[in-house]
Amino acid sequence: MSGIASILNTDLLVATIRLSTPITLAAIGATICERSGIVNIAMEGIMIIGAFFAAVAALFTGNPWIGLLAGVVAGGIFSLIHAVATITFHLDHVVSGAVMNILSFGIVRYLMVMIFGHPGTTDAIPVGLKAYQFAIPGLSKIPVLGPVFFNQTPIVYMSFVLVVLTLIFLKKTKTGLHLRAAGEHPLALETIGVSVYKMRYLGVFVSGLLSGLAGAYLSIENSVSFTEGMANGRGFIALAAMISGGWTAIGSFVAALFFGFADAFQVRMQVFKVLNIPSEIFIIFPYVATVLAVAGLVKKSRPPKADGVDFMIEKEGA
Amino acid sequence: MQITKLKPLFYTIIVLLALVGSVMYFASVFSGILLILAAAGLYFVYYGLTEGKGASKSLALSFLKSLLIPVIGVVSALLIGGIIMGITGYNPVTAYKALFYGGLVKNWSVSVLNAAPLIFTGLSVAFAFKAGLFNIGAEGQYYVGAVVATFLGLHFNMPPLLSIPIIFLVAGLLAASYNYIPALLKVKTGAHEVITTMMFAQIARYLSSIFIRGMGGGSDGPHPYVTDPILKSNWLLKMKTIFPSANYRVHIGILIAIGMALFVQYILTRTKFGFEIRAVGQNKDAARGQGIKVGRNIFIALLFAGFLAGFSGVNQVLGLDHKLYENLNAGYGWDGISVALLASNNPIGVIFTSLLWGILAAGGQYMSRTVQTPNSIVEIIKGIILFLIVAKYIYIHIGHKFKNKKKEEREAVK
Repeated sequence: MSGIASILNTDLLVATIRLSTPITLAAIGATICERSGIVNIAMEGIMIIGAFFAAVAALFTGNPWIGLLAGVVAGGIFSLIHAVATITFHLDHVVSGAVMNILSFGIVRYLMVMIFGHPGTTDAIPVGLKAYQFAIPGLSKIPVLGPVFFNQTPIVYMSFVLVVLTLIFLKKTKTGLHLRAAGEHPLALETIGVSVYKMRYLGVFVSGLLSGLAGAYLSIENSVSFTEGMANGRGFIALAAMISGGWTAIGSFVAALFFGFADAFQVRMQVFKVLNIPSEIFIIFPYVATVLAVAGLVKKSRPPKADGVDFMIEKEGA
Repeated sequence: MQITKLKPLFYTIIVLLALVGSVMYFASVFSGILLILAAAGLYFVYYGLTEGKGASKSLALSFLKSLLIPVIGVVSALLIGGIIMGITGYNPVTAYKALFYGGLVKNWSVSVLNAAPLIFTGLSVAFAFKAGLFNIGAEGQYYVGAVVATFLGLHFNMPPLLSIPIIFLVAGLLAASYNYIPALLKVKTGAHEVITTMMFAQIARYLSSIFIRGMGGGSDGPHPYVTDPILKSNWLLKMKTIFPSANYRVHIGILIAIGMALFVQYILTRTKFGFEIRAVGQNKDAARGQGIKVGRNIFIALLFAGFLAGFSGVNQVLGLDHKLYENLNAGYGWDGISVALLASNNPIGVIFTSLLWGILAAGGQYMSRTVQTPNSIVEIIKGIILFLIVAKYIYIHIGHKFKNKKKEEREAVK
């Protein structure tokens, strides 16, 4: 039993938070996007773009905070391709998302070779955001929860705040209401004079920013360089978290924590070699959970009514 | 009038020339292209002699029309790619020269090897699309096909003529059954197949590692793990045994793939099942109104899509690698979506778009080796091609509006 005990401790929970942060960020982004009616399976690609530009900016300026900004902005700009394709040009959302993922691999590898002369891994950045880890006075002294939640690195704190902000935005603000209407009943929204296109652009753009931030977390906070394939399916896990979480911010957060826990557990089991179970059994946990969720085991897991439904304004005279 | 009596003879010659030429070409005997060109020339001469001018003209026009958008898309994407290369300090002209020399002439065999698995996954995606379904998880069905083929390939000691068809069939059926749950959920609860097949693809990706370690990979073996090689009797026939000058790696998989494309085309256009599939894909309610069982057709279409994608994995294991690597992450599922979209889900078109993708990949590798231009420009070009081609819905939309306007004007004149 000492083997198991070496796994089940506070470190496991700390690792859970670390591993779930990028998933949380991308998943709440996806929630906002899909609530506006645009299906987004491009998180993986946006994350890669965000991670790459964050690392490059941090490398050339020596300042991880500029890297963070660059990652977020790059994610936002890249996501606009998806917005233009699906909203303005009425492309199928899944098709566009798939193409975005393909495109991101190509762009990043091309730039890698151009800037660093080889694919693979970038040079290490001088200072990572991990150096800015700080404990919140008082709160971090709470047993167990303190070190887990209140002695963390900057983007982890940001992710907590962003979950709350997303929740408030979607539930309490007028724009949030309009955005949700764009995903549930776009025609009604257009009737009261609010542009469905604008709301959907907003949704995609915000999800791009958040996925970019998730990418920046991977390259300049959780690590000190960008490696191709570093997202390693996290964008799809984020999608899984969003669906398992029933297309809600809080649900996405909880699901991301669960998936992060499964991942942390799996990693530590491998490290300490306690049980002889293939680690893959734990890695597939998010995907199985998602299938179960859409199979109807999670009652509230229902996409917005007009999610993925194209909206076209018939202009008079056209 | 005399010449029409020779119709069967002419057609036999043309078909034979084309067939032998294609087989040679696909077997990387480059001169095969001459026979294909001769066949095409003969066909057009014969056609021009026998059919009236009007008919051949309209045929040529409709053919050109269907090619117009893809060609425009590919050419403009290449132009944009050239501009990108120019801006970032590479010479686009030498890069493209190397790309096409490598893809079409020098390493044609690699292009063919690349294309074969894509044809299968492309057919899988295209077939599902015809039924209005998005089989985004072809990658997963590919893994299932590959794992099953490896397992059977290791243990099946039988004459090749017997064992290889059985391996194809069993692996295909198991890959089809891998879509059983997504299909069931789609029909019973309406769970979107994009979500379920994508999740199943990820599950297959990781679970395949366990099987690979169980088939000789060993947990302390080389990394990434790889299975033992399959029995030699289960290898697909090499083209070299037919054409001694063919590249030693090229196998008959490409011919199986083309045969499969013809088969899928036949199913879709000539059978009741294919008709029902297309009816369901176009309009579920109308199909239901005609008494077509919508749920049943969706179910079968997803399973058949899995069957086709499974073949892709079998093709790679029996034909090319003869063993299975862990964490292959081959991307055939994603590329399958690309080639299907590019071909507007036409099975015959999938053959050509897969070849294009194969040529781009092989040429890209050659280019990066010889003129030191990053071959990832190929990935970017692929992405741009896709955006430009799928945007054809815009062209179609504009075209419809234009036609409607003309019609209205004509009616107004009346």
